[in-house]
Amino acid sequence: MKKLLYLLILCALVLSACGTMSAKPPAVLRIGWAQGPDSLNIGVAWLASAYTISELTYSSMYELKLDGTLAFDLGTDVKRSDDGLIYTFTIREGVKFHDGQTLTAKDVAFTYNLVKDHEDFPTLHSYTEHFVSVEAPDDKTVVITLDEAIPNIESKLVFLYILPEHIWKDHSAGDAAATFENLEMIGSGPFKMLEYKPNEFIRLGVNKDYYGGTASLDEVIFQIFSSNDALVQSLKTGQIDLITGVPNTSVELLKADSNIKVVSGSPLSPDLADIIFNIADPANCPTDDGGLCTGHPALRDKQVRQALAYATDKQKIIDIILLGMGETGVALVPSGLGEWFNSDIKDYAFNLDTANQMLDDAGYKDTDGDGVREMPDGSQPLIFRMNWPSSDTTAPRMAELLSETWGKVGVKLQMQGMESDALTAICCPVYDYDIMLWGWVADPDPNTLLIIPTTDQIPTGYNETGYSNPKYDELYEAQGRELDHAKRVEMVHEMQAIIHEDVPYIIPYYAFAIEAHRTDRFTGWLDNETKVGLEDPSALLALKPIE
Amino acid sequence: MNRWHLLQKKALWSLFTIAFVIVLNFFLFRVLPGDPARAGIKDPRLTPETIEALRTRFGLDKPVINCFKTINPLVLGACDVNPLETQFVIYVKNLFLGDLGVSYYYNRPVEDILKERLWNTILLIGLGQILAILIGMAYGIFAAWKARTVIDYGALITGLIAWSLPTFWLGIILLFWGSSHGFPISGKSTPGMSSYPLMMQIGDLAKHLFLPTVTYTIVYMAEYMLIMRSSLLDVLSEDYILTAKAKGLSVFQILKDHALKNGMLPLVTVIAINLGYTVGGVIQIESVFSWPGLGGALYEAVNRTDFPMLQGAFLLIAVSVVVANFIADLTYSYLDPRVQTG
Repeated sequence: MKKLLYLLILCALVLSACGTMSAKPPAVLRIGWAQGPDSLNIGVAWLASAYTISELTYSSMYELKLDGTLAFDLGTDVKRSDDGLIYTFTIREGVKFHDGQTLTAKDVAFTYNLVKDHEDFPTLHSYTEHFVSVEAPDDKTVVITLDEAIPNIESKLVFLYILPEHIWKDHSAGDAAATFENLEMIGSGPFKMLEYKPNEFIRLGVNKDYYGGTASLDEVIFQIFSSNDALVQSLKTGQIDLITGVPNTSVELLKADSNIKVVSGSPLSPDLADIIFNIADPANCPTDDGGLCTGHPALRDKQVRQALAYATDKQKIIDIILLGMGETGVALVPSGLGEWFNSDIKDYAFNLDTANQMLDDAGYKDTDGDGVREMPDGSQPLIFRMNWPSSDTTAPRMAELLSETWGKVGVKLQMQGMESDALTAICCPVYDYDIMLWGWVADPDPNTLLIIPTTDQIPTGYNETGYSNPKYDELYEAQGRELDHAKRVEMVHEMQAIIHEDVPYIIPYYAFAIEAHRTDRFTGWLDNETKVGLEDPSALLALKPIE
Repeated sequence: MNRWHLLQKKALWSLFTIAFVIVLNFFLFRVLPGDPARAGIKDPRLTPETIEALRTRFGLDKPVINCFKTINPLVLGACDVNPLETQFVIYVKNLFLGDLGVSYYYNRPVEDILKERLWNTILLIGLGQILAILIGMAYGIFAAWKARTVIDYGALITGLIAWSLPTFWLGIILLFWGSSHGFPISGKSTPGMSSYPLMMQIGDLAKHLFLPTVTYTIVYMAEYMLIMRSSLLDVLSEDYILTAKAKGLSVFQILKDHALKNGMLPLVTVIAINLGYTVGGVIQIESVFSWPGLGGALYEAVNRTDFPMLQGAFLLIAVSVVVANFIADLTYSYLDPRVQTG
């Protein structure tokens, strides 16, 4: 039987030798990915990987650049009516789809209307929230009419990739738009779909007709790995050229390799970790939406939350959990959003004495000497439930670290990871928890994060803390209508300051994006941009193969 | 009872089991917490209107079954709804029409996804099983024949070690070894291979199959070897073997004609059970080598509360376990004539 095995090995080796014998190999960049797209139909896709592929295959009115700003992609000019309700866009002429058909304003209008009409497009639909109508009076003009003057039309359009009407018109009605697999993924971006094997790989070829210049690459391959060990090992052995999501624990190993460069910094889509307090008031509990509001009463006291903020050693959390690859979190808007981030906020500096003093002053004393403080009326000790989604591998360590420092100020935690759906079920609008560890991903515009702590979002369940502050709500409404950019920035900063002062959340950190690429096959890596995004179209267009 | 009656009885029980699984599958996953329309994802862009629209598209706006609007959270509803308008009846009806539904997560027919994944899993497990059975049996027979010699003890020790190796760990060790010896360590084909001649595509597949198959073979081979050895040792100590020896039969004849048929019985059971269960995917091996098989699909489906995928995949697993057991019963009655009368 051993012979059979040897024979098998021999067969495999002989056959594999043939595989490497071919003419001059095309310049193929191979990117290792931990998760592939859930669908090539961007309308129904949830995952960031689907957006990355769309970024490469489609054009959009605006693009998100590596310096974090939004700039015209397909658009060339925009005019806003005086009342701010009508936007007239001019688009590039002569842009071709991958199948040779011309992209006109009609395709743009078709796409926007398609998204507007499909409430069942989970992530895209909200971008067309204020659209009343979209029309294309001629081939290069798109007119968008809104029901409300909004200040951030760019960020509404950046992810609305332009789909070809001649293909999608047969798949636009009802459920057809959701079940259309869109395997050919015809777009007008710098790369076109060559081959897609779900959960295996995606092969993109260069689009020679692309208006923004042609890549020196012939192909880009995204290969999907279900194990991080295999992913990292593949980069080390040269089976792939780039990893866009390097596990923190592998950074040192990869840095030690002379053919590999590790790049880390602010991600293209910044995210934040948050420590979420249940401060939903039982007196105002959203019982119609299933609210229970069982949060610990101490957490509804701002003094307690501020004391806990003082008792949180953010730098230690970053050093241990992220192995240093992140920056201290302050506000609900991450620093990666550039000017929207309020850098003037003075954070609660880690200080256990201050924290203890604050709790003492507020009347939370340890009367029975068991090391845990009690409520001022002695009714119950400060023992908090702490939960996190079990898929989050960093959360248990963060919980341990918090338990350690918070323990020193007389607060005890009962820690338990939960399946994310189970966590959602106790979260909101049920409010049947004390503290949760979770996070958010940011859009380029701060609006999607700022909406979370508004009173209106309590019944919908997005307001995880149950925070309600009329001043904040007013500012949220106002910034959503403020067309003067500088004034809007000011309001957004003020909102962050309010949240920081009231502490419905403690933001421990903003994690860095960590990518790693080989240096022996391609040059021209955009390693030093404001944002780390080596899989971004502009970064791929800059790459040159080493002969 | 003759063989025909036995067959009928077993077939009936198998069908009953499958029917039970169909019903259980439906309710089991709906008892789990979670909202498929949110897919476990936190995204402020997901508006309440959108969640409602998704529920409608998935058919989750209809009552689960008469009197029950949803099971978790438990919400009672009207009992006088048309049963044809309940999720349960629609599910059973579609199942009988051969429609497993559309995956919430991939927005593709479950049938298509299962077919893709099943073929990959069968390829890996089929090859691994054949090798494990052949090598394990031969090794076991050899060890039993050379009982209480150095060869036997050597076989026993390697068998026990191989069997106790954690599959995941063995896979990672082989992965590190293979990656530095030119073996691909992820997926089942090299991207771009589809434009090459068929022979090269097969070669590419063989290369990709090598590491996962070896991992699988080592673990299962050891199990088969140990069972084969001990069961054969039992048989070899029987009086009739002594008689056969006394008659002057060769070792080969004793093994082939007298010992093996009886010694095979426990092995057949284990193989059948393994075959049935492994259709569910050898999730550890699949995940180490990024093999696009059923195991990974199941894992994702659980994470995403993807009811149609879960129902389809568990039905498939249930059917394979039942069928494998059915076949084992048949083989049993062939190997051991006493079973027919029992």
